[in-house]
Amino acid sequence: MARSAKAVPWFLFAAGGTVLAFILPVMIFVTGLAPAVGMFSGALSYDTMSGFVGNWLIKLILLGIIVLALWHAAHRLRVCAHDFGIRADTAVAWVLYSLAALGSLATIIALLRV
Amino acid sequence: MSSQAQQASMAQDGATVRRPYVRPISKTSWFMTHSRYKHYMLHEISSLFVAIYAVILIVGLFRLGSGPAAWQGWLDAVTSPIGILFSLAAFVFSIIHATAWFKAVPQAMRLMRGGEVVPGNLIIGVHYVVWAVVSLFVLILAGVA
Repeated sequence: MARSAKAVPWFLFAAGGTVLAFILPVMIFVTGLAPAVGMFSGALSYDTMSGFVGNWLIKLILLGIIVLALWHAAHRLRVCAHDFGIRADTAVAWVLYSLAALGSLATIIALLRV
Repeated sequence: MSSQAQQASMAQDGATVRRPYVRPISKTSWFMTHSRYKHYMLHEISSLFVAIYAVILIVGLFRLGSGPAAWQGWLDAVTSPIGILFSLAAFVFSIIHATAWFKAVPQAMRLMRGGEVVPGNLIIGVHYVVWAVVSLFVLILAGVA
């Protein structure tokens, strides 16, 4: 069978799409919409959150979710650029995947600081 | 004639090549011509909100690492009118992504079990069950904390 160098971005895209579909709506609800109406104020307090994110398993899970979100979005935005008539695919891919790599690195640093 | 010689003679005739076909549709708004394309584009644009939300989360983690005041600042930003507006849009787009993604799973992945193809609706149904369980779990986790 022919081997393709596209396997890695494709895997990150597919895994990302599935994980994000499961977790993102509830995550956006808890971190974005609920605090607006005063829900989950205990869970989102500094003490609870720093303890929660201080856990190594949670760090790994958050890293997985954010990294997959970044690579999934980068891959899809690349397709989006094509759909909006931008044909410089190599440049677009380079910029988007670089941003995703940068964001992944930033996530690791941010998690290590908590 | 070898293929190289053929190419060379074609290059010489470059001036007489036929007029190229130009598609009579817009490169930038073609998706507005059909509701199916509009749905496709709506799903594609959801990735922009995913990217922005990921950045907001990363900033939040940095703020969390910088102490209680910084974390409170992040919470205030998230609950500002612009923050709420973004969260609302991102929430809607995340649901558009989830439903569109689940719908596409059986088309992307054919599962065989006991020599039979697992029906697509069953695969989609399982995804919805997992979605509900994951969401409920996170809500309980946030509610208990």
